[in-house]
Amino acid sequence: MEREKTKSELINFVRTIQRPDCPLDDIDGDLSLVKSGLIDSLALLQIISYLEQTYGIDFREKGVDPADLASVNAILELIERESGA
Amino acid sequence: MFFDSQPGAITELLTGRSLASREIISRTAGRTARFQTAGLCRGDRVFVQYGNKPEFFVDLLAVWYSGASLVPIDSRLTAYEVENLARAVAPRFMLTDSPADAAILSGLTALGVQVIDTRDWDDRHFPSAFPMRCQTYLDDEALILFTSGSTGIPKGVVHTHRSLRARWFSLREALGIEAHHRTLCLLPTHFGHGLICNSLFPWLAGQHLVIAPPFSTTALMQLGAVIDEHKITFLSSVPSMWGLALKASKPPLGKTLRRVHCGSAPLSAHLWRQIQQWSGTNEVFNAYGITETGSWVAGTSVAGFVPEDGLVGVPWGAVIKILKSADAGAPFDVDLQCRAEEPGYIWLNTPALMRGYHAQPELTDQVISGGWFFTGDIGVADQRGWLYLKGREREEINKGGMKIYPADIDAVAERFDRTREVCAFALEDPLYGQSLAMAIVLQDDADATVRELHAWMKVHLADYKVPLHWYRVESLPRNSRGKVSRKDVAAFCAQRLPLDLQTILKAK
Repeated sequence: MEREKTKSELINFVRTIQRPDCPLDDIDGDLSLVKSGLIDSLALLQIISYLEQTYGIDFREKGVDPADLASVNAILELIERESGA
Repeated sequence: MFFDSQPGAITELLTGRSLASREIISRTAGRTARFQTAGLCRGDRVFVQYGNKPEFFVDLLAVWYSGASLVPIDSRLTAYEVENLARAVAPRFMLTDSPADAAILSGLTALGVQVIDTRDWDDRHFPSAFPMRCQTYLDDEALILFTSGSTGIPKGVVHTHRSLRARWFSLREALGIEAHHRTLCLLPTHFGHGLICNSLFPWLAGQHLVIAPPFSTTALMQLGAVIDEHKITFLSSVPSMWGLALKASKPPLGKTLRRVHCGSAPLSAHLWRQIQQWSGTNEVFNAYGITETGSWVAGTSVAGFVPEDGLVGVPWGAVIKILKSADAGAPFDVDLQCRAEEPGYIWLNTPALMRGYHAQPELTDQVISGGWFFTGDIGVADQRGWLYLKGREREEINKGGMKIYPADIDAVAERFDRTREVCAFALEDPLYGQSLAMAIVLQDDADATVRELHAWMKVHLADYKVPLHWYRVESLPRNSRGKVSRKDVAAFCAQRLPLDLQTILKAK
């Protein structure tokens, strides 16, 4: 239940930074956000800021593994890991 | 042909694949023989659709050895744009390393351009020693770099071997080569900054080049580790890259990094200091350059500089003058020189100046007067003679260091049959510095028309050039002389809401 809520919030956020011509509804949870053209590569910065602000993840300490931001499902797993869920 | 006795090694960051200097020379010889067999002659031009990999650099040397010139093409361009550029410079070959887009293939074939998928070329049977005397002559055309006009009249900056060497000698004189011993290039190689200065300057002087895909987010998010693993001593950059690197990557720990350049877009003092702190070196130079001058032509390589907004520093192989005049048609008049601290137009005199714009003598005459180049930038020199940039008069949109010319966007949108008027302009953008917007007057209010125009733009323009913010307006604002100014249109649209493109496009 919690995962679904987190996912829905994450998708709502991605909707605010996505390219206008790429239908988010059709994106599979495992599809690469950048490679699919859904977001610009530098928009990953906005996802990092979202995760910092919403879930308090401090990337300055540990850096970012690019694989953790590759897809919606990868980000969800990162959130769960970092929040000890 | 090499700036020194031999080129350096190249490592491809993505795969870890390395080519030693000897292997590069041997492969270049084989590739030269291959080009010769295929009919490449002195004076020919070759489009290359791939970059940022060892093969690109081998092919560049082989093209030069054959006496031809190289035209690096952004792989994201549409068939329409590639054809338009090909029509302008009539290349003999286009080299590609992936299955050619059918539309590009048929368009180029119709123009008599031979498209070669170099993956099909097995050079093992070709000699590993050069098959002929090097055909390179100093005043021959070496590179054409397109800076605008992918949809209209292309503006191709022509550099000769002489102008390129002048740039590299100047840089060596101003900066030395030691700090560039192991250089990382994260910038695209169809771009003067990435190709001429970040890559070729160190590599042709025998230094080791580590080449990454352009603006690779994977590399940026692990930049500190990349620097440590490859013992990088130097890298160049554009400001927009640093947002991601500073946020996502831990700093390098190995203390190998000696110098960082940042250019192609304004660098704020705040970001500048952050890069210094992250990289562990004070030698973070703001590098000022223009494709027409072989890129880097000035920078902050002065002892004890402190980051300041707009600070560019001192010339690298150039004389810089600030003049009151922007008129390249009038004789260059030194009496028009501004005093210290007085703003004016930046003019440059450098032996690295381009030969001119390809097949556009009138356009060339608009920017070159008596060997002096009119940059279109506004600046001041302080009492020490240090240059500060204060603004730009050139009509370009700088999206994360990539220059987009709004006239190229207008030219495509105007050709859509239901467009009455259009004006592309820049919007401030927190990620990219600037992003692209467009005010459009259409014949009707139907969302379907917007969708069709969007599809039209996608066919004719590379993705990154399609504006993200569209303003549908009744008419464009005009000044008292009836002219449309992009600044006025931007101010006009700032009072309005953009179209909800996401919803409109989704409804299809």
